[in-house]
Amino acid sequence: MHLRTFGIFFLLAVPTGLTAQTLTPADSARHLLNRLAFGARAGEIDQIARAGVLVTADRWLADSRPADPLLTERERTFDPARFTAHALAKRIEEERRLRRRAAADSMMDPPALPPARNPRRIAAAYQQLTMVRAVTAEDQLREVMADFWTNHFNVYLGKGADRALLPEYIETVIRPRALGRFEDLLLATARSPAMLFYLDNVRSVTPGMPRPRRMRDDSARARMPTGLNENYARELLELHTLGVDGGYTQKDVTEVARILTGWSIESPDRGGGFVFRARAHDFGAKTVLGVRFPPGRGEDEGVSLLKMLAHHPATIHHLSRKLCARLVADEPPDGCVDAAVSAWQQSDGDVLAVLRAIVHSPEFWSPRATDNKVKSPLEFVASAARALRVEPDTSPALAQTVAKLGQPLFLQASPAGYPERQEEWVNSGALLDRMNLAVGLAAGRVGGSRPDLGQIFPDAARPEALLDTLSHQLFANRMSARTREAILHELSDIPDPDEARRLATGLALGSPEFQRQ
Amino acid sequence: MTISRRFFLRAGGLALASFGLEPLFLARAAYAAAPKRPPGRRVLVCLFQRGAVDGLSMIVPHGDPSYYRDRPRIAIPRDRLIDLDGHFGFHPALAPLKPWWDNGSLAAIHAVGSPDNTRSHFDAQDYMESGTPGVKATSDGWLNRYCQHQQEHNATAFRAVAFGPELPRILAGSAPALAIGNLQTFGIQARRPAVRDRLTRAFEAMYAAPETGLLASSAAEGFEAAKMLGQLDPEAYRPEHDAEYPKGGLGRSLAQIAQLIKADVGVEIAFADLGGWDTHVNQGASEGQLGNRLTELASALGAFADDLGERMRDVVVLTMSEFGRTVRENGSGGTDHGHGTAMFLLGGPVRGGRVLGRWPGLADEARFEGRDLAVTTDFRSLFGEVLSRHLGLPDLGTVFPGFTGGGFPGGIAT
Repeated sequence: MHLRTFGIFFLLAVPTGLTAQTLTPADSARHLLNRLAFGARAGEIDQIARAGVLVTADRWLADSRPADPLLTERERTFDPARFTAHALAKRIEEERRLRRRAAADSMMDPPALPPARNPRRIAAAYQQLTMVRAVTAEDQLREVMADFWTNHFNVYLGKGADRALLPEYIETVIRPRALGRFEDLLLATARSPAMLFYLDNVRSVTPGMPRPRRMRDDSARARMPTGLNENYARELLELHTLGVDGGYTQKDVTEVARILTGWSIESPDRGGGFVFRARAHDFGAKTVLGVRFPPGRGEDEGVSLLKMLAHHPATIHHLSRKLCARLVADEPPDGCVDAAVSAWQQSDGDVLAVLRAIVHSPEFWSPRATDNKVKSPLEFVASAARALRVEPDTSPALAQTVAKLGQPLFLQASPAGYPERQEEWVNSGALLDRMNLAVGLAAGRVGGSRPDLGQIFPDAARPEALLDTLSHQLFANRMSARTREAILHELSDIPDPDEARRLATGLALGSPEFQRQ
Repeated sequence: MTISRRFFLRAGGLALASFGLEPLFLARAAYAAAPKRPPGRRVLVCLFQRGAVDGLSMIVPHGDPSYYRDRPRIAIPRDRLIDLDGHFGFHPALAPLKPWWDNGSLAAIHAVGSPDNTRSHFDAQDYMESGTPGVKATSDGWLNRYCQHQQEHNATAFRAVAFGPELPRILAGSAPALAIGNLQTFGIQARRPAVRDRLTRAFEAMYAAPETGLLASSAAEGFEAAKMLGQLDPEAYRPEHDAEYPKGGLGRSLAQIAQLIKADVGVEIAFADLGGWDTHVNQGASEGQLGNRLTELASALGAFADDLGERMRDVVVLTMSEFGRTVRENGSGGTDHGHGTAMFLLGGPVRGGRVLGRWPGLADEARFEGRDLAVTTDFRSLFGEVLSRHLGLPDLGTVFPGFTGGGFPGGIAT
């Protein structure tokens, strides 16, 4: 019954003048898997088309989340205790001591720590854990949204103390709130040592703050901050909440910076968590976006400010639009943005409620919304691995391929994160590398288990039958005639069915239609 | 016939306006429609020293007493540096570059940097690459904007090339630009040539017209570049004139840039970067960390100039770094984030043998915010001079919007 209403629904949803193409249940299932998950696992398109696409979407978007004991097991193989800020800081300090000693001895290449204690290796393992989750997690929506918020509240793993702080930031700030309320997420990022360090709020103090009388040396004294640092305040308004056209002024930025003076990090020997330093705080009166903050308030005025920003109409519009850009189109149509905005207002910024509104909007299911986005490097690698049911292990291979394709995980230096617009990151070298990766993955040469192609694409005796299966499993029968011809042409002189299967699969994953979602 | 022109024809010309919805693709197609002049031979190579090089110990103001006063442990002793003009001297590690200084094809510019006061690496690099200091919203890089606005160049797939796994910010934007990790592994890879050809043929067919959009144009550029490279045989490359590139990423990148330039594949802009300049701890004086990095830089640049020989007539190498370092050494034998720094210009069109730029001095009252070398030359003046005088860009406003500073330091012959 669901499926039938679906078909009619699409006919109505197609604006006149467009080709009267409608989505089949399989098309819709594939679209859903591309947008709310990291692509279809072999067999999954049929499964969801049979179960009902909207039923499945609603199940994924329900408030209760599925348990995933298998993923917990996989996470355990990564020895997650080494990803805490405390453990990582110890390793980095150890490495620093080693380097200092090497520099003192004028050694050209300082010796490296053994892999288990090497901070770089541990960071690589953490990147790979992200891949394992993206490829194998049952709760795909959480992984998709964790990626979205990690990018929205970007922190650069390469900047100083964030080498130690970033994994814990993702684990304890982003992931648990990825499907929660925006206000909670915003407040948690604002209090996170990773963000406070990354955007220099730890260096922002009220001008004229008395310096401690005794310091280790003059140089430490000279490095003590002496005034405001507007970095976090600006990005908070421009990127995290209101948006660049959100109607704030430079004066607002400065006032926000004054309100957030004192939001800092406890010294490492006291745990290195969030601390409000009254000594560094500016207790004067401030005005932000026309709202007056009376003098004499401490940490709580920052909390009021963040709540005000979280509920500001510009923030709601900015975030709704960005979510639609991720889930519907790089330049999202107004209809779904409006739906998201109104759901946001009604639900007080409940991410799941907003996502439900987007997925229930006609724009999400418009034929124009399918295959209109190029997969990001992470989306491409994860979806290819999922399509072949590859089981990634703890070796960093898959994460390295994402890096090679131009978007290394957690290593975007700019606070804006990786751009959603494909124009800004698709490039020739990386595109050829996608093709190489596709071929390598099909041949079992990249990261994790060798795919069992014989099981996924059993009909390889006749090239035509093989192409039908590939088109069915990967593209819901929408492989283009051109791609089909190109692959068939190459299969004509390959008698061995295994070799034919490997070649055809690699070519199909490298095809233009598999780059899209 | 150029890649983009051919691609444009293959893709069906104006029909795109109705089907291809992607503006970047249309922008790229438009390049093909623009009239072409004969392939230019002029080349700009940009090297980014990421991490903020200590300009004060690279080009040492040994005539300024404050330099020695504030750096008791890490100053370059007078008897070790290579004097240039009685006031400035090279760090001894730059010895391989001295012949180029002497023959007038190497200039330095001092006290150059950003009008923005950030001391954050990533902000400062971002500004230096976007070319819009203080403005974060700029989406493209200034080298890409150059390619967008100088459309008369006969663009090949190799017009703008960056060496590295991703396209750097400085080259990001709507004009085509290649990111090459390694020439030898660019393109479709397979151990057996027959397999590689098979894969290439199949993928090329899949991405050909009527496929449109960004994927198709990027793929077409990639295949064209790979094809041109196939004829080059990068593995067989031997530098000329006994040039010896140092081991490491920079030497490899410059050797590959030299190879592309000599192969006449249409390189106009090349980019490479090198890290390790963030010398907070144990920077060293004549020897040590900074010396090691400068040795690599100088020997790679020297080898590049040797290797290109006569072709250096058409080439300018421009080095840059996001900011300089504190005048005063810190408590750990290093230097912290500062402001003004020094950059190099190397090549035939350079008016060399001189330290350019107004020297503000290191006296306390002359320092920026009381601590750092002040900036007397906006980096856009230097970059702008190179674009204008070396590459002939008529209107700098298109590449550095809002910049009215002018004031070319005078490093390029007119």
